[in-house]
Amino acid sequence: MIDKIERICLEGMLPRVFVSEEIPPSDVWKVSLTFRRGMRYLVEAASGGGKSSMCSYIYGSRNDYEGRLMFDATDVSELGIGEWQNLRRMNLAYLPQELSLFPELTAMQNIELKNGLTGHVEKGRIEEWLHVLGIDSRRDYPVGRMSIGQQQRVGIIRSLCQPFDFILLDEPVSHLDEENNRKASEIICGEADRQGAGVISTSVGNPLVMENPVVLRL
Amino acid sequence: MSLISKLLRKNTSLARIAGFVLSNFIGLAIISGGVQFYEDARSLWTSDDSFVKSDFLVINKKVTASNLWGDSGTGFTDSEIADIRRQPWVRKVGGFTSTDYSVKASVDQGGRGLSTMLFFESVPDDFVDAGKDEWNFREGDAVVPVVISKDYLALYNFGFASSAGLPQISENIMSSVPLTLVLTSEDGSRTRRMQGRIVGYSSRLNTILVPESFMRWSNSVLGRGNGDSSPSRLIIDVSSPGDVAIKEYLESHDLETAGDKSGSSASFLLKIVTGIVLGVGGVITLLSFFILLLSMSLLMEKNRDKLHSLLMLGFTLSSVASPYVRIVVTASLFAGVLAAGGVCLLRSAYIGDLTGLGAGSGNVLPGVVTAMALTAVIIIFNVFAVKRKVKDSWR
Repeated sequence: MIDKIERICLEGMLPRVFVSEEIPPSDVWKVSLTFRRGMRYLVEAASGGGKSSMCSYIYGSRNDYEGRLMFDATDVSELGIGEWQNLRRMNLAYLPQELSLFPELTAMQNIELKNGLTGHVEKGRIEEWLHVLGIDSRRDYPVGRMSIGQQQRVGIIRSLCQPFDFILLDEPVSHLDEENNRKASEIICGEADRQGAGVISTSVGNPLVMENPVVLRL
Repeated sequence: MSLISKLLRKNTSLARIAGFVLSNFIGLAIISGGVQFYEDARSLWTSDDSFVKSDFLVINKKVTASNLWGDSGTGFTDSEIADIRRQPWVRKVGGFTSTDYSVKASVDQGGRGLSTMLFFESVPDDFVDAGKDEWNFREGDAVVPVVISKDYLALYNFGFASSAGLPQISENIMSSVPLTLVLTSEDGSRTRRMQGRIVGYSSRLNTILVPESFMRWSNSVLGRGNGDSSPSRLIIDVSSPGDVAIKEYLESHDLETAGDKSGSSASFLLKIVTGIVLGVGGVITLLSFFILLLSMSLLMEKNRDKLHSLLMLGFTLSSVASPYVRIVVTASLFAGVLAAGGVCLLRSAYIGDLTGLGAGSGNVLPGVVTAMALTAVIIIFNVFAVKRKVKDSWR
């Protein structure tokens, strides 16, 4: 059982769809890459470069790749479903690009679904985040009736409702304005700092504002 | 209702679940009702002779002019017995032993005495299923256990007692009446006085039966001592009573079977009918099982994205499966309990008639246990299928 993840190592990793293709030089694919806890990473790519694939591989929801993925000394191919589920509650936070919110539930219910599972964040803190991101008036609205930008903010708050060693954010602010981007970044990086966690954020053009991130090109 | 249940129960079709409950109830009720009726009705043919093993035949030679006056007689010779023993449908053969002295039995009934000449026969003890304590005699015992044919009691009650103005007596009263036996050797020189106690009635053994140990002892004390004569009746433990080979063998050797044969053919018929009923119930239950399996599968397929999203959030497989497991357990248990209740109702409808025929002394347990056991099987398989489906939507 993995207690803490200090390093995530990609060793010669390549999505299988790229195997037969000629790919441009990359900081991520077919190299040895290590993400360290406590660091900030910004993964930039053109659409179709495989950044969502990378997030899915690290989060264990896909495994269609060549090469190896290591959490410290553990090869993730050895992890069982139970261990992955445990990692998703205790070590890895993830905001997928498609958000995966439940449209029939309200913003608050979507957040409480995750927080009820981990019991990680106090209710007052959630209310504060909703307020800072300007969606407190929408807390009891079904998420399906919100704009994409509002949904993105709900997704960000939900992804923070658990302890984590790394947080994976797949285009977290693609529909946010500069002001909300900055506020979201403050909250995300604040939580990451508090837990000494690493942040891995991807972008195709509107990156999450972070101080001195390691920039990687796919 | 928890948020997970609210999410995952969406698209639940009450009509499909109700369809399962109804069909499962019908199937289970037919199966468990059939089992219950079989258990209740079976005693009509078996409980009478609970002290004699069930699958036996009593055979004797036909009495004809030639063997009556000729020298062959109706006794079985050793070679004839050996030939019977070689037949494939024979498990065990035993001879009837008769008394070699005269028996007089008397009953003191409310001051009025009733006495009659009697005879005893015995068969090897391994054909008798009664407990060793009850069916035993040791030298020095004052009481002899006796099994009499049910027909004799009927003859007394409906033939003799009513015409002679004597009271009719039930099996229980008869068993509690002390029977005084006077055993006298043929030349009248030796006499023994004993108590007889009726421990059972048989509708298939047409005789008055005493334990083998008593027969040996009394024949040695009171008999002429001319050794074993060849038995005129044989008791045979057969492997399958309905076998045609038995009938053919008996016919070709001029033998006939004694006792009530209708019992075995009726119980054979009961088995066939029960088999058909169980088959129909089984098919319906199997179909209802697939209705549940398919409706759960369809429901989970419709909610597959949500299942996947919940697993992506880190919910355990079992917590995601639990809303579906609850549907399976609730619906199946509901149908199972309904079926068990149906069996109780059904039984109360027919048990009066069966009791009138002298059966149905058991309880409703066989039917209820069958319904519950099948329900458990349905639940186990469906829960297994639900869990596998959840696992499939993990990646």
